[in-house]
Amino acid sequence: MLHAQEDKYTKRIQRYENAWQRVIPRYTKVQFAGSMAMLSVGTGWNYYRNHWETDMLLGIVPRNANDHANITFTLKQNYFPWSINLGEKVSFEPLSCGIYVNFLFDRDFWAKQPNKYPPGYYWFSTRIRNHIFIGERITLKLNPNSSWHKSISLFYELSTCDLYIINTIGNSYLKPKDYLSLSFGVKLQIL
Amino acid sequence: MFLRKYILFTIPLFLTACELIDYHPYDGRLDSDTSREINSLNIERIEKICEGKDTIRFIFMGDTQRSYNETEDFVKHVNQLDSIDFIIHGGDYTEFGLKKEFEWNDDILSKLKIPYVGLIGNHDVIGNGDQVFREIFGNENFSFVVSDVKFVCLNTNAIEYDYSHPVPDFNFLKNEIADSTRNKRTIVVMHAPPGNEQFDNNVKDVFQLYIKMLPSLMFCLHAHNHCVSAADLFEDGIIYYGCANIAKRSYLLFTLTPDNYLYEVVYF
Repeated sequence: MLHAQEDKYTKRIQRYENAWQRVIPRYTKVQFAGSMAMLSVGTGWNYYRNHWETDMLLGIVPRNANDHANITFTLKQNYFPWSINLGEKVSFEPLSCGIYVNFLFDRDFWAKQPNKYPPGYYWFSTRIRNHIFIGERITLKLNPNSSWHKSISLFYELSTCDLYIINTIGNSYLKPKDYLSLSFGVKLQIL
Repeated sequence: MFLRKYILFTIPLFLTACELIDYHPYDGRLDSDTSREINSLNIERIEKICEGKDTIRFIFMGDTQRSYNETEDFVKHVNQLDSIDFIIHGGDYTEFGLKKEFEWNDDILSKLKIPYVGLIGNHDVIGNGDQVFREIFGNENFSFVVSDVKFVCLNTNAIEYDYSHPVPDFNFLKNEIADSTRNKRTIVVMHAPPGNEQFDNNVKDVFQLYIKMLPSLMFCLHAHNHCVSAADLFEDGIIYYGCANIAKRSYLLFTLTPDNYLYEVVYF
């Protein structure tokens, strides 16, 4: 009787631990620029045969013309349709694409216009930006005897955001170099 | 030799890549070729151009937000004209207060052959836009004197701020009233006119009383409403002239003579 109860408990714990194991972040990602921050650092999960990746990044925007530096949070969804093996240790993802949503923590920026404005005065949010991107990535498998990580990936991306796109409407004056944003990054795979 | 070719090839590529680096739409990190202190530098030029002239001709325009093509056409049009002394931009360079919107406008307007000064519009305050405006143009309230006329340029976008930031700034006006040695006449310029939702309408009558203490107030100029207008807002003989947004391809052209003025609406 006691034995059976222990069994039930062990199974339950196993299920519990397995569930939590699945949500352990699997890599560290560092990204430079990309209209999300100067430098963003975060973690995330890869799944569905590594075709998909979801990142959570915290970024810093240094003080410039503005009064102070800013902190941002970015939620990023990546899709990699193909992965090409170039030898045993190197693989290449010829296309990455996806979207990210960027939040500014500064209280001067709003998600929805403050009540002082007449209804519908400013329809947009200054705090939340929506971005789309495309890019490429190369991955190097690391030797498990001598390194901390499973693999290291280097990537670059070209992106733009909602308010930049709106500015291009009816303005042939604006060229891709005006509204595209280039970024670079590193992913260190832990699991 | 190979190395030199390689370097020659990579430098433009590297420069393009640098241009594409954007930290954040509201990062306030201006390009090195973006203008700084436009107003104070151009006021010097304006005062030099108008020195000794008794007839002054200037353009009043505004609201160039999201109208880069039309703004570029405006610059090309104005650069073909002569006998115009300077331009006043009534504000709203941006729709969203983005740094890039300020820079795109500056790229176009810096091609003007004649000097211009710029006021702050309500859209230019959004996000950290007011801080970027200060970097590019200078103070939000400023004045300059040409011939015997002083132009008093004011931030009137009160709804964008709270009470800790005085809009309109009566202290600034007080100093302008006190400092009237160089001018016999005055023109007051603003983005949003009294009575508008942007204006602090609790003080609009006081504002009118106060600006009439400036030496011989001739008339007032404003942008913001995106249409041409001329209205005696307080029924006291002081006309408020409004210019259309640049997307409507028009501007106001004022000619100040020693004892009168005239204006025309010009379409380009």
